[in-house]
Amino acid sequence: MLPMEHLHLEHVLQTVCVLESVVLRSFGPEGGQVLFTRDTGQAMLSRSGTRILTALRLEHPLARMVVECVLKHSTVTGDGSKTFILLLASLLRMIQKTACKEPNVSHTYNSRETAEASTARHLADKMLAFALEELDDIIAMGVVPYGCCLSWEDFTAKTQLPTCPINHCVQKLLASFFHSRLGRTHCDFISNLTCEMLTHWKFKSDLPSSLLQFVNDNFSALHTPVSGFPISCSRLIEGQVIHRDFATPCPQADHQPVKAVVVTGCLQPKLLSAGEVLVLGSGEQGREENSRKESSIVQFTAWAERSLECVIAKLQSLGVSVLLSAVKQSAAVLALAAQADMCIVECVSEDELSLFAQLSGATPVSDCWMIEPEHVAALTFCRPILLGAHRYVHVAFHDSEERITVKPCSLVICGPGEGQTDQYACAFQDAIRMLLSTWEPIDITATTASKKTLQPNKSTCLHVDNQIVKASPFQQCVLEPGCVIPAGGTFEFLLNHALLQHGSSCSISDDTIMGAPAVSQLFANALLSVPRNIYFYSLRRFLQTQTRLLSFIQNHSHPFSHVYKQEHNTIVVQGRGKSECPLEEGKLINHCCGETDVSSQVFMSDSGLESVSCKYQLLVAVLQCVSSLLHVDTVLHTHTALHTPSRRLADISWEGTEDEAED
Amino acid sequence: MKVIQARRERQDKISKLMGDYLLKGYKMLGECCDVCGTILLQDKQKKNYCVSCQELDSDVDKDNPALNAQAALSQVRERQLAAQSTAPSQAPEMNEGPSSSQASVSVPLPRPEHCEGAAAGGRALLPPPAVPSPSPPAPTPTLAPTRPPVIPQTAGLQPVLQEAEEAILTKLRWATNQLQSSASLESSIQLCSLIASCANSLRSLKELSQ
Repeated sequence: MLPMEHLHLEHVLQTVCVLESVVLRSFGPEGGQVLFTRDTGQAMLSRSGTRILTALRLEHPLARMVVECVLKHSTVTGDGSKTFILLLASLLRMIQKTACKEPNVSHTYNSRETAEASTARHLADKMLAFALEELDDIIAMGVVPYGCCLSWEDFTAKTQLPTCPINHCVQKLLASFFHSRLGRTHCDFISNLTCEMLTHWKFKSDLPSSLLQFVNDNFSALHTPVSGFPISCSRLIEGQVIHRDFATPCPQADHQPVKAVVVTGCLQPKLLSAGEVLVLGSGEQGREENSRKESSIVQFTAWAERSLECVIAKLQSLGVSVLLSAVKQSAAVLALAAQADMCIVECVSEDELSLFAQLSGATPVSDCWMIEPEHVAALTFCRPILLGAHRYVHVAFHDSEERITVKPCSLVICGPGEGQTDQYACAFQDAIRMLLSTWEPIDITATTASKKTLQPNKSTCLHVDNQIVKASPFQQCVLEPGCVIPAGGTFEFLLNHALLQHGSSCSISDDTIMGAPAVSQLFANALLSVPRNIYFYSLRRFLQTQTRLLSFIQNHSHPFSHVYKQEHNTIVVQGRGKSECPLEEGKLINHCCGETDVSSQVFMSDSGLESVSCKYQLLVAVLQCVSSLLHVDTVLHTHTALHTPSRRLADISWEGTEDEAED
Repeated sequence: MKVIQARRERQDKISKLMGDYLLKGYKMLGECCDVCGTILLQDKQKKNYCVSCQELDSDVDKDNPALNAQAALSQVRERQLAAQSTAPSQAPEMNEGPSSSQASVSVPLPRPEHCEGAAAGGRALLPPPAVPSPSPPAPTPTLAPTRPPVIPQTAGLQPVLQEAEEAILTKLRWATNQLQSSASLESSIQLCSLIASCANSLRSLKELSQ
């Protein structure tokens, strides 16, 4: 019988609280950094939550589960791993407090503990259901009006329209991201670099999400880490850098364009592979068999070489001078190619080859007997480049018609040491992911769409004033892509306020702890732990920010009421203290950049911006994690490892400490 | 409520300590301690370590008088309070006067710093004051003085003794006056005990001067 361990609520809470205490001190813009040291003496400073969590040695199954959830969330949104743990811990604490106070006595349980556990489970499920159904509405009504929508066009402050406030641009969003990830010294430089890169890659007709998706998918091929230089040496270079060196000396090709072909297999037909049997042509000759056989092998190799010569000749006739090969070519190929003034780059990775194929428009050659002109790519140049201690191949593409506006460029990221460079590269990629989740259109599932169109007045959740325009209050209350809000806990304060209002306006008959008001109140209280920890160094700052925001909400309960009047000449809902004005589709929000009054500009000019949709995804992910944690009942200890997740984490360069032996 | 608060603080402390150890390179195991139920940590030498058992004061041990001086002290105090409210007090032995039960709460409560030594040594250490204090509930010593009476030179002794005698006689007179005019039982009893202790002091002074 395998040893079993029953899990109680305290175990779960203790595990998560321990993880919280680990990340707590690095949280927020004022948080500190963690110094990682290896036994070899290498040291690295980092503030990234994923790095800290993956470096811990955890054998406790719940802790590993939580860390995996954090990692998965972070690969989607690129940010928020420490906030995840903080919210998780505070939610569990609130659930435990509520469950201990009134365990659900309607069922019979063996002990108080099981009663508490079941109450906690129900609470978590209720909260998750609430989040999936109503949270986006609440955010759209209660938080989004106080933020603004960044348009994809204005990247940097220089390209701002004069009417738009200087703060609202993508660069500001990136700067606050890099500030919290890398520190305040270089955040502006790096965010400028990222904006420049994205500007170069912009396809005019495309949505921002497709561009960002493209950059995210190909990021490993689009950047080159160079260690040993200060970060201010990072730059953009045009074209693509292939992270391999030439296998044959590169001829000085002055004529343009340079033609290149991508080859995926071996050019020389393989003579013999292991396990194959070569049957040479048998003749009727008897005694001369032996000699005939020998000459047959010789003939075979001679034939193979002649075929190779044909291939090279064909390539020469097409004017090809560069061969990019995915595999290692044989010595004969190298020799022949050198003779023919062709240079070969071997063992190029698949990502880079696919990017090359995409950018140049040439398909890779699969069968070396059939090399057609469509396989030939035209390059402006193809030459070696020295970056740091390595020599790479640098190619630049001819402008073709379809990508006339795109200037492909590659990022060179410099850092003082290998670990630091790796950190900067990860920060870049996380920034791209964050932008991607900000601009990704939130897809409305079938259920929510039907709910929105069929029930325009959900009387359970809002007061149905007869003044409310009943036609379409909810149709377009979605999270617009590109919504941002000032950083520093603003989102949490606003959502807290909105949730408390929502809870108080829900039907009062449902008074149990499982009722909607209690659930939203619990959630609202748990949210406040985030700004509390941002301002951990000063409780006064926390209270000041809170009062300032609440007074702003009271004074500006209709942030766009005057805009509405000017633009659309309709009657505005006069709800008392509720920001219930029905929002029209997108247009209203896009006008906010130019039309908000002075006070809200002052409100916006706080430190930094953060993305609303990232926060929303974070909340949903945390609630899902809470729910799955509380559904765990028992732990079975097996003697053999079922799978080895620690090996998977070995890709991260600082994972050397995690070499525990699996028992 | 305070218990819940204390428990929560203890849990917070445990979490913080465990977080520190994790950052130092300890491994968090999947097992719990048998004694207290906290998650076990393992250091690089493969030794298991429970934070709450080995570092924090135990939650339960602090109430055990055999292990903790404070607990012992509070137990003694409780017993004393219980005893005083029922039986006649363990008044000072020189009190031959009327049985003063609540009046002479002159049983001084043992102070903790003294009791620490008491737990080790076993002797009570309240030195008697040389002159009884003027306040009515005279905290006269009940227990044996530790200091053996120091006998200074006879020359320097006389004026001191005379002064002491005068002071005591003044107090005696005052107490007698008070006693004649006192109306309440309590104050009479206290004044009587004061007079008794004054008389005792005079006797000791006379012995000294001889």
